Amino acid sequence: MSTVEDPTPTPVAVTAAAPARPPGRDERFADSGKALNVFSHGFLVLWAVMIVLPLVWIVLGAFKTSTEIGGSAWAWPTNWNLGAFGRAWENGVGGFLVHTLIVLVFSVTLTMLFGSMAAYVLARYEFPGNRLIYFFFVAGAMFPVYLALVPLFFMLKNLGMLNTYQGLILVYVAYSMPFTVFFMHSFFRTLPTALHEAAMIDGCSHTRAFFQIMLPIAKPGLLSVGIFNVLGQWNQYILPLTLMQKQSGTDADHSVLTQGLVNLMVQSGYKNDMPALFAGMTIAMLPVLVVYLSFQRQVQAGLTAGTLK
Amino acid sequence: MATVTFDQATRIYPGGDRPAVDKLNIDIADGEFLVLVGPSGCGKSTSLRMLAGLEDVNDGAIRIGDRDVTHLPPKDRDIAMVFQNYALYPHMTVADNMGFALKIAGVNKAEIRQRVEEAAKILDLTEYLSRKPKALSGGQRQRVAMGRAIVREPQVFLMDEPLSNLDAKLRVQTRTQIASLQRRLGTTTVYVTHDQVEAMTMGDRVAVLKDGLLQQVDSPRNMYDRPANLFVAGFIGSPAMNLVEVPITDGGVTFGNSVVPVNREALKAASDSGDKTVTVGVRPEHFEIADGEAKSVSKDAPAGVAVTVNVVEELGADGYVYGSAEVAGSQVDIVVRVGGRSVPLKGDVLHVVPRGGETHVFSTSTGERLSD
Repeated sequence: MSTVEDPTPTPVAVTAAAPARPPGRDERFADSGKALNVFSHGFLVLWAVMIVLPLVWIVLGAFKTSTEIGGSAWAWPTNWNLGAFGRAWENGVGGFLVHTLIVLVFSVTLTMLFGSMAAYVLARYEFPGNRLIYFFFVAGAMFPVYLALVPLFFMLKNLGMLNTYQGLILVYVAYSMPFTVFFMHSFFRTLPTALHEAAMIDGCSHTRAFFQIMLPIAKPGLLSVGIFNVLGQWNQYILPLTLMQKQSGTDADHSVLTQGLVNLMVQSGYKNDMPALFAGMTIAMLPVLVVYLSFQRQVQAGLTAGTLK
Repeated sequence: MATVTFDQATRIYPGGDRPAVDKLNIDIADGEFLVLVGPSGCGKSTSLRMLAGLEDVNDGAIRIGDRDVTHLPPKDRDIAMVFQNYALYPHMTVADNMGFALKIAGVNKAEIRQRVEEAAKILDLTEYLSRKPKALSGGQRQRVAMGRAIVREPQVFLMDEPLSNLDAKLRVQTRTQIASLQRRLGTTTVYVTHDQVEAMTMGDRVAVLKDGLLQQVDSPRNMYDRPANLFVAGFIGSPAMNLVEVPITDGGVTFGNSVVPVNREALKAASDSGDKTVTVGVRPEHFEIADGEAKSVSKDAPAGVAVTVNVVEELGADGYVYGSAEVAGSQVDIVVRVGGRSVPLKGDVLHVVPRGGETHVFSTSTGERLSD
């Protein structure tokens, strides 16, 4: 579901392409800015179509029958009903959704709390080893998670945390920490030091200054990095696949959405119910789309964040 | 209310070998308005931040009243500070901003509200109490920052260039307001500025710093009349005092075609230390245009120094003439204040003599004041 990326940062290629335009068209678009605009907008439209079409196809698939899905990709569903959604829900998607929510509520909250605390201390307090710890965090971002899979598996196994919420939550927190610390570190650096000093003079303890002054001011940054974390953890596949497998026949199923959907696909009972699978994918997709669409402004604000001067 | 004492207070930044503030000694009386002034990098802000507890004190002590606060955290010092960029909490309303310190101190809500409203009334902020800082103009934000300090009723106010983000006209207005507010509240105040006009107009006393060293602490009047050294002489006053190096002669110093009398001890002190010249300071407003009656050294030339006019600044009430003159064989720039109704033209030659008793004599080698 990387389809929810913001497609705006493209005009670089456009600038380079513009002078190659034949002279006749240049006259028509006498204002070169306008010409660029038309070109770049055309490019963006194309991009948007490329991203939106497969999504729409999946959503429409949930309303088709299996035969229709196998048929022309351009055909519309003949019979609009929500039956496939009901079947998907009953066959486990409801449970997967609940599992995912349980994991994400804790993992994102903890990531944000510890990530911002660590970032704040690293950004604002001078102490020996400060840079070292910071680089340690950042180095984590350069470490592919696949390399850690096997050690992680055995670590959780030894702790008895395989196929438990707390196990996956802890792994998610660790997994999201480098980016969170990196992002919030630079965000806290942009906040004026005078605010912290004013809080100190007003009588704040360090803890209170962080939670009552700095954290509320860092809200735009927290929101955007929080949304990135929600998206990243929601879409995580390889970690739950490795760490959330049933350990025995009697073990409870804690599958999260991504993993559960794949299970549905490979399970024999679903061979013939493609619409239910598509409905399951739609259900998995919707919350992320809603999160992204409703916080779009904050995501952009967070990326270009500053503060009141 | 309390006195403030800097006792040999020294600050050396980590990695630096020269102190940012070097053995600062100032006694500030209860209720006094003291202004720290100096060029940028002189240590004035550092001194204030040492008093606030935002900078460590490497040596010496700082006392508020009888309490030694040298190593206390800011919150235990009973001070309030107004920052240059105001440092208002952007996510809180004006009322919350002003009452935040009281809230932390555990004052009950009704009293916080009452004190905030009182301060808001004084500062004309009542109708903005429920707004966020970003919905306020620069001047209003500045007043909120003042209000945040006032509601705490601290022992000392600290102000770090609180007017430098305001436009020129508002700055002049607010300057007067802050000064009169301070007189009314009677709270000891330490005010940092780089603007010597602010320093002269607001302070009960002014402390001039340069390179971390205290140059002089005195009332604005004395600072103007008797600057302790060349630096203070050049720093205080606008336009700056004319400082001209002239040779010593019998009974005074030669200033162009006239002799400026200087007391004998001063000259003796200068020549004893091996100086052949002294530096004479004359403020632009203390020059008189020679009308031929003044006593001149040689009869065939008019008295005083011949100043060729380069630029004239007309300010309405008076004008400043920027000219050049030859004194003791070298070309010097001279600024002279003239009456607003009799402004010379560019290229004119004026003969000016310093008004008696308004000259300052400094040792050329040490920069110290020689005349009294």
